[in-house]
Amino acid sequence: MTVTALVLGPIVVGLALYALPRSAESLAKIVAAVVAALTFFLAILDPHASDATLHWLARPFTAAFHLGFGPLSYWIVILLAVATFSGVLALSGPRTRNVAAQLLVLQGAMNGVFLAKDLLLFALFWDLMLIPVFLVLIGTSNHARPAWKYLIYNLVGGLALLLATAAYGVVAGTTDVIGSAVPAGAVGATWGLWIFAGYAFAFLIKTPVFPLHTWMPDTYAELPAPVVAVVSSVQSKAGLYGFLTITLPLFGSEMEAARPLMFALGLAALLYGAFAALAERDAKRVVAYSSLSHLGLILLAVFSGQQLAYEGAAVYMIAHGFFSAALFLALGAVEQREETRDLTRLGGLMGRNPRLAGALLLGSLAALGLPGLAGFAGEILILTGLFKAGFVWPAVVALLPIVLASAYMLRLFQGIMNGPDVPDLPERRDLTWAEGIAIAPLVAGLVWLGVSPGPVISLAATIGAPPAATTSFVPEGSRVVGSR
Amino acid sequence: MILELVWFLPLLGGVLLWAFGPQLRSMAGPVGSALVGVSFIATCSMWQPAASVGGYHVPLLDWLPGWSFGLQLDRLSLVWTLIITGVGFLIHVYSIGYMDGDRAFARFFAYLNFFVFAMLTLVLSDNFVGLLVGWGLVGLASYFLIGFWFHKPSAVAAARKAFVMNVVGDVGIMFAIFLIVAKVGATGYADAFGKVASFSGQELFLICLGLFIGCAAKSAQVPLHTWLPDAMEGPTPVSALIHAATMVTAGVYLIARCAPLWSASADARNLVGVIGALTALLGAILGCVQWDIKRILAYSTMSQIGYMIMGVGVGAFEGGVLHFLTHAFFKAQLFLTSGIIIHALHDEQDVRLMGGLRTRLPFAFVAMLVGVLAICGVPGFSGFFSKDAILYDTLLLGHPFLYAVGVVTAGITAYYMFRMLFVTFFGSYRGDVDPSELGIRHPELAGIAPAGHHAEEEEPHGHAPAWLMSGPVAVLIPFSILIGWLNFGGENSAWARFFNGFFPAPALNVATIPGLSETYSTLLVLLCVIVGFAIAYVRYALPPALADAVVRLRGETIRTPALLVNAYYFDAAYDYLLVRPARALGEWFDRVIDPLVIDGAVREVPISAQWLGHLFRSFQTGLVRAYALTIVIGVVCFVAYYAFAFAGGAR
Amino acid sequence: MMVAPENYVALSAVLFFVGVVGVIVRRNPLIMLMSIELLFNAANLALVTYARAWANNAGHIFAFLVITVAAAEAAIGLAIVAVTFRRMPHVDVDDVAALKG
Repeated sequence: MTVTALVLGPIVVGLALYALPRSAESLAKIVAAVVAALTFFLAILDPHASDATLHWLARPFTAAFHLGFGPLSYWIVILLAVATFSGVLALSGPRTRNVAAQLLVLQGAMNGVFLAKDLLLFALFWDLMLIPVFLVLIGTSNHARPAWKYLIYNLVGGLALLLATAAYGVVAGTTDVIGSAVPAGAVGATWGLWIFAGYAFAFLIKTPVFPLHTWMPDTYAELPAPVVAVVSSVQSKAGLYGFLTITLPLFGSEMEAARPLMFALGLAALLYGAFAALAERDAKRVVAYSSLSHLGLILLAVFSGQQLAYEGAAVYMIAHGFFSAALFLALGAVEQREETRDLTRLGGLMGRNPRLAGALLLGSLAALGLPGLAGFAGEILILTGLFKAGFVWPAVVALLPIVLASAYMLRLFQGIMNGPDVPDLPERRDLTWAEGIAIAPLVAGLVWLGVSPGPVISLAATIGAPPAATTSFVPEGSRVVGSR
Repeated sequence: MILELVWFLPLLGGVLLWAFGPQLRSMAGPVGSALVGVSFIATCSMWQPAASVGGYHVPLLDWLPGWSFGLQLDRLSLVWTLIITGVGFLIHVYSIGYMDGDRAFARFFAYLNFFVFAMLTLVLSDNFVGLLVGWGLVGLASYFLIGFWFHKPSAVAAARKAFVMNVVGDVGIMFAIFLIVAKVGATGYADAFGKVASFSGQELFLICLGLFIGCAAKSAQVPLHTWLPDAMEGPTPVSALIHAATMVTAGVYLIARCAPLWSASADARNLVGVIGALTALLGAILGCVQWDIKRILAYSTMSQIGYMIMGVGVGAFEGGVLHFLTHAFFKAQLFLTSGIIIHALHDEQDVRLMGGLRTRLPFAFVAMLVGVLAICGVPGFSGFFSKDAILYDTLLLGHPFLYAVGVVTAGITAYYMFRMLFVTFFGSYRGDVDPSELGIRHPELAGIAPAGHHAEEEEPHGHAPAWLMSGPVAVLIPFSILIGWLNFGGENSAWARFFNGFFPAPALNVATIPGLSETYSTLLVLLCVIVGFAIAYVRYALPPALADAVVRLRGETIRTPALLVNAYYFDAAYDYLLVRPARALGEWFDRVIDPLVIDGAVREVPISAQWLGHLFRSFQTGLVRAYALTIVIGVVCFVAYYAFAFAGGAR
Repeated sequence: MMVAPENYVALSAVLFFVGVVGVIVRRNPLIMLMSIELLFNAANLALVTYARAWANNAGHIFAFLVITVAAAEAAIGLAIVAVTFRRMPHVDVDDVAALKG
C-alpha cells in the first residue's frame, strides 16, 4: 500500500494540478510541497512496508506490477522526496503551476523506477520519467535543441533497455526478478552477454559516462534550477542503481568480464569531467561536469566487486543527490538575482548575500569531498574498497580528481561570491524564507550523512550478498556507542 | 563527558556566532573567547586521566565494523590540546582588540572558534579517518581566515592556493588509509600500530610516505610550502594561531602520533629527516631577503617547523614535540607583537618603512626582543632547550649531515631575526620616506598592499582598550622564556619523565657514537648563532649603517638575487608545469572535444542518414521503362541464381 | 500427335521475351499495356503446360487467377492511359515522370 501510494500518489496529484487555474501559483506550490513532504514521512514512518504485487502479463512471459523497497532504493526514495520538496519550494515564475505538476509526475515515475521489482515495470517507468523533464525543457527553454537531445539520447537508451527486458523475459520466462532469489546466469552465457549489453548501454547513457555524456551539460544548463536539482540528484542515479540492483545479481559474471571496459569509462569520465569543469565558464555547466566526474567514481565502485565499495557507492549516491541539488538550487538563486551564470561576470556577492553564500559554500565543500561532509564519506569508502579489492592504480588515479575538484569547486564559489563588488550586477536581497526552507533540508542531509552514514551503509551491506539475503530489510539508526 | 565538552564547545561557539553574529555584534568576541577559555580549563581538569598510561578514551559512533570514531586524550594530544585551547584563548582575546571595528567582527570569531574545534578534532581523534576529518576541517578554517577579507583578490587567491595544496596533503593521507585498511581492516591507531610487525618494509614506507605528503602540505615542507607565505594575507591573529602556533604543526603531531610506524621504517626516517632539514635551510635563507614583517615570520615558521619535522622524522620525538611547545609560545608572541606594530602604523607591514620604533613602541620592542632571543636559541630562553634537544638527538641517532644543516640554519636564523629586529626598531623612523627611495618601485608587485587598501575593512581602529592586545603578549613572554626549562636536567627533566615510555625507543640509523659531546655541540650552535647575530649587527645596527639606512636598504632591495626574490621559482614552476597545462587541457575538453568531436560524431548519424537518402533518391527516376528494366534485371539475377544452384545440386 | 511440352515452354519463353522488349523499348503506353498482356499470357502458357505435364491442377487455377488479374490490370491501366491522353495530346511514358525523386 505504502509503496503504491509513493508511486501513484504524486502522479495522480501532479496530473490533477493541471485542473487548477494557471494563475494559482502558490496554491500549486503548496499542494505539491505537501505531497512531497507526505511521501517523505510515508517512507520514513513505514520502512518495513510490504511489497505490492499485482498480476500483469502471462504471455509471452510472466510479469507483475510488483513494487517494494530494496536495500538501495529506500534511501533514494527518501532523497527523492526531499529533493522534490526543495525543488517545488524553489519554483518561481509564470510557469510555476505546470512545472510543479511535472515535478510531481517526475517524482512518481522515478519512485516507480526505484521501487519496481519487475524488469518490465522498471522499463516502463524508465521511459515515463523522461516525459516530464522533456516537457519542462521544451516549455521553458528558448531553443528546442537541448530538449530533443535529451529525449533522443535517453530514448535510444530506453530502447536498448526495452529490448534487453523483452529478451530476458522470453528467455527466462519471467521478469519479476529484481531483488528475488533468481540464480545468476538464468539466461545462459550467450543471451546473458547481449542482454547485459543492452542494460549496460541504457544505464551508461543515463548515468552518463564519457563519451555518452554530452546531453547532460546542455540539459542541466537549460532546465530551470528546481527541476535540474531533482534530475541531477535522483535521475542520474537510475543507471547506477540499475547496475547495482539489476545487473549485479543477474549478470555477475558478465559484469566481471566488462570490468576493464567499465573501469576505463569510469576513469575517463572521472578525469574528463574534472578537467572540463576546471575550464567551464557557465556555473551550472561546471556542476554538470563535476557530476560527470563524481558519477564516474561511483561507476568504478559498482564494477569493483568489493562490498566496501558498494557501501561507499550507496553513500556517495545519496550524498551526490544532496549536494548537487543544493548546488543547483543555490546557483538558481544566483541566476535569478543576477541574471547571469557566467563566472567571469559574477563576483563579490558574499557581502550582500551571506546566507546564499553559506548554502553555495556547503554544497561546494561537500562536492569537493571535504572531510566531515557527505561527499567525503562516500569517496573514502569507495576508494578504500577499490584499493582493498586490489585495484591499486584505479584508486590512485582516482585521487587526482579530488585535488582538481577542490580547484574547480573553489573557482566556482569564489568566482560568484568573492572578489571585489561588481558594479553592473543588480543588487538583490539575500535568500528568501521559501528558498531557505528549500535548501535547508538538503544541507541538513549533507551534514547528517557526512557525520553518520551508518544507516545507509548498514542497509547497503546486503547489496553484494546473494539475492536471497536481500529480503531481510532493517534500517538501523546510527549506533551511538554510549558515552561516559 | 568533559572531553566531549572540550571538543564540542568551540563548535557550538562557531555555529552560534555564525548564526547570531549580527545580533551579538561586539559581544561576539568575548563570547567566542570565553568558550575557548572554558575549553582550556576543562582540558586542565582532564590532566590526571590523560597523563596516565594509555590515556583517556571516549567512543563516539560507528560507520561500519572497523570504522569507529572516538576521542582520545593521551599525553601527546594533551600537549597539543593545551596549546590549542590555551594559546588559542589568548589569541582570541587579542583579536577582540585587533579586529575591533571590522565589519565582519562576529564572522571572524565564528571562524576562529570553528578552527579550534577542527584542530581539536585532529588531535583528539583515535583513528586515521577522524584525523583526516580534522585535517580537512583545519584546512577549511585556514581557507576561511586567509580569505577573510574576501573582497581582496590577492587574499582570495591565497586562500584557494592554501586549500588546494592542503587537499594534496589530504589525498596523501587517504592513500595511507587505503594501505592501512587493506592490510589491517580497521582505521584505529591502536589497530594499525598493533600490527606494525605484519607490514612489509615497502608497505610501511608507502604508508609513511602518504602520511608525510599530508604533513608536508599542512606543515609547509618543501616542495608543498608555497602556500604559507601567501597565507599571510589573513589577519595577523590568524597568522599567529593557525599559521604559526597550531595548524602548521599538525604534521609534527602526525609523525609523533605515528611514531611506531616511523620507528619501524628507516627509509621513512631518512626521507622525512632530509626534507625537514632542507625546509629549515631553504626557509631560513628566504627569511633573509624578505621585507614584509609577516613574511619574515612566515619563512621563519617554515624553517622552525622544518626543525621539528626533522626531529620527529629521525626519531627525536620528545625534542620535536618540545620544540612545537616552545615555538607555539614564542612564535605566537612574535606574530602578535608584529600585529601590534602593524596596528600602530596603520597597516604598514614593510620593515623598510619602519625603523626607530624602539622608543615609540617600547612594549612591542621588549616582546619582540624576547621572541627573537627565544627563536635564536640563546641560552636560558626556551628555544635554546628545544632546538638543542633536536640537534643533538639528530646527531646521536646517526645523522651527522642533517645535524650540520641544522647548525648552519641556527646561524642563519639568528641573522634574519636580528635583521628584522634592527631594521624595525633601531635607527630613525622611515615611514615618511618616499618608497621609491628605498627601491620599492612596484608596491603591488612586491606583495605590499598600497596604502589604505583594506582601510574599508579595518577602519576604524583603536576603540578597544590597548591592554586587550598587549595583555595576551605579556602573558606569553614568561612562557617564551621559561617553558624550555622543562627539559632541563637530561634524563630526569620534567619533560623526559612526562613522556617516559610513550614513544618507542629511538632507532639508531648508524650504530656509532658521535665524536662530539653535548656540551661541545651546544657551544658549536652558540657559535653559529653569535656569528649570525654579529653579521646582522654589523650590517644593520652599527652607527654608520643606521646613519645611511635608506641608501643601504635601497641597495639591498635592488641587489637581491632574482632566485631568492622569486622564492626559488617554485610558484612559477607549479604555474607552468601544473596549473596552466591543466587549465589548457580543460579548455580543450570543454571547447573542442565536447562540442566538436563528440557532438560532431553524434551529428554524423543524422547526416549519414541524409546522405543515404540522397543516394537512394537517385534510383527514383520516374521513368516507367527504367523501373521495368530494373525488374527484368532482378528477375534475371534470380533465375540465374536458381539455375546455377539447381545445376550445382544436380551435380 | 502429342506436341512435346518443351515446345510450349519455348513458345512461352519467346512470348515473354517479346513482351519484355516491348515494355522496355516502346514509349507508347498502349503498346506497353499490350506487351504486359503478352507477359501474362506467356506465364499462363507455361503454367498450363506444366500443369498438364505433371498432372497437377494448381497450374490451371493459377492461370485463371492470372487472367483475372490481367483483366483488372487492363481496366486500371487503360483508365490511367485515357486520363493521361486527356491531359497531354502526345503521350510518351518518359514524359510522365512525376514520381522522380
